[in-house]
Amino acid sequence: MMIDADAGYLESHEWAKKQDGNVFTVGLTAYAIEQLGDIVYMELPEAGTEVIAGEPFGVVESVKSASDMYAPISGTVVEANTDIPDNPDILKGDAYDAGWLIKIEASDPDEFEDLMDNAAYKKFLETEA
Amino acid sequence: MVLRMKQTPFFAKHTACGARMVDFSGWQMPIQYPDGIVAEHLATRKHAGLFDVSHMGRFQVSGTGAPGFLRHALTNDCDRLAVGCAHYTMLANATGGAIDDAFLYRLGQETFLLVVNASNKDKDRQHLQTVLKGFGAVDFQDVSDPMAMLALQGPESETILQTLVTEAMLPQPKRNALGQLKLCGVDTIAARTGYTGDPVCFELFIPAESAEPLWDKLTAAGAKPVGLGARDTLRLEAGLPLYGHELGIGKDGNEIPVFAIGQAPFAVSFDDPVRRFIGRDVLEKQAAAKQRYKAGDFSDTAALPKVVRQMRLLDKGIAREGAEVYYQGQEAGWVTSGTMVPYWTVKDTVLTDDHAQRAVGLCMVAPHIPVGSEIEIEVRRRRLKAEIVARNLKNRRGSVAYAIL
Repeated sequence: MMIDADAGYLESHEWAKKQDGNVFTVGLTAYAIEQLGDIVYMELPEAGTEVIAGEPFGVVESVKSASDMYAPISGTVVEANTDIPDNPDILKGDAYDAGWLIKIEASDPDEFEDLMDNAAYKKFLETEA
Repeated sequence: MVLRMKQTPFFAKHTACGARMVDFSGWQMPIQYPDGIVAEHLATRKHAGLFDVSHMGRFQVSGTGAPGFLRHALTNDCDRLAVGCAHYTMLANATGGAIDDAFLYRLGQETFLLVVNASNKDKDRQHLQTVLKGFGAVDFQDVSDPMAMLALQGPESETILQTLVTEAMLPQPKRNALGQLKLCGVDTIAARTGYTGDPVCFELFIPAESAEPLWDKLTAAGAKPVGLGARDTLRLEAGLPLYGHELGIGKDGNEIPVFAIGQAPFAVSFDDPVRRFIGRDVLEKQAAAKQRYKAGDFSDTAALPKVVRQMRLLDKGIAREGAEVYYQGQEAGWVTSGTMVPYWTVKDTVLTDDHAQRAVGLCMVAPHIPVGSEIEIEVRRRRLKAEIVARNLKNRRGSVAYAIL
């Protein structure tokens, strides 16, 4: 699946999905994962870390490059998917479910409305290509 | 105006294989094929990797004046290069820096092939054509277009080539040996050279019009296409320099002295005391500094303020080009190339079917830091522990290269 219908997107290819209450799961889009190629290193924040929408929350590195990952929504990290840095191949098969990276308790859940919806992101990818 | 990208004679093969193409020095080149950089790196170390290196520059230099010209323009001495052999060399400038690094192949008594970096080809040609005035009969030809070039590297490359030889034989099993033969009826110059650190390695020069059929034969025989991404991880694991990183201009804006790289003694010959090659005076001072460092004397580092060393990370993370290096709390230099590279785990000197990864690189540091020293490298405002090592790859004996951990 290249795009998840329920998620909101950033132009930097992160997604956020409402889980329950004010908690959102956050990850990288399938497009980003394909573009990165072999992911060889990842740094995720620990639970309790404050993140700000549009600011970096972690780092993903392929053989050729290091990229910051940006938070789609502001709040507090409640959990990080610690399986991923050791098994980044999980991302290749399932970017939007098993491949979630962090869960954020949003300080302002309305920020979700500022993200691109799946149609807008799809259109954005067409202009990227 | 749109700059038209150049394509090698293998372009259609790359796209047919599903390669991801990138712009590299004006050439459309495969950065990787669908299996990816990690798989390509590992396949080269255990089996055989096939690299299109036709973007590199190839000059044929011949005529009665050719040896004299090359002895002046290049740092290595072609009088010490037998017909049927190749050696590493530099195009040095008068200040002891590298205009380029290159490989010189002696095809005949007065016939040579000089292979240079794609990014420097035009600069090299202009420089060499200026220098050759005054050396009598020298025929200097850019043969990059009519001649395609492949590298076939890894333990199975010899068996693969063996099945394709239709006339004459592969060069004798000695590093840098070369010979002329036919592969599937195609006139080929084969040399036991390469840029991966694999002990079994070949570079092949063939007519451009035979490029595609030979590519098909090689891949059908088991050679795996490898892109520029894994070409870089392989050379880095082997500690080999890349112009623009370990040669040329450094991060501080200064020219990198040729003797900063560990391979310089193999590329520069002072054996003939009367040979006046470009850069000799300065290079002799650099070599003398290196000798003093070996003896533990660091009192005068003017000729060679920093040297290129191999390192490996001890902490988790990756040190990239440009990252600052600290030794005993003091700034000591910077990383010139660095990434994560995969490796096969080894049991009783045999490669297993398991692989892992490690972060390695090259750095330009003060000369007094001994091998085995712990250094720190600043990555995203954190200092990661790393170690200066003699090498990261064991490839001196046998037919397989494997990781030194």
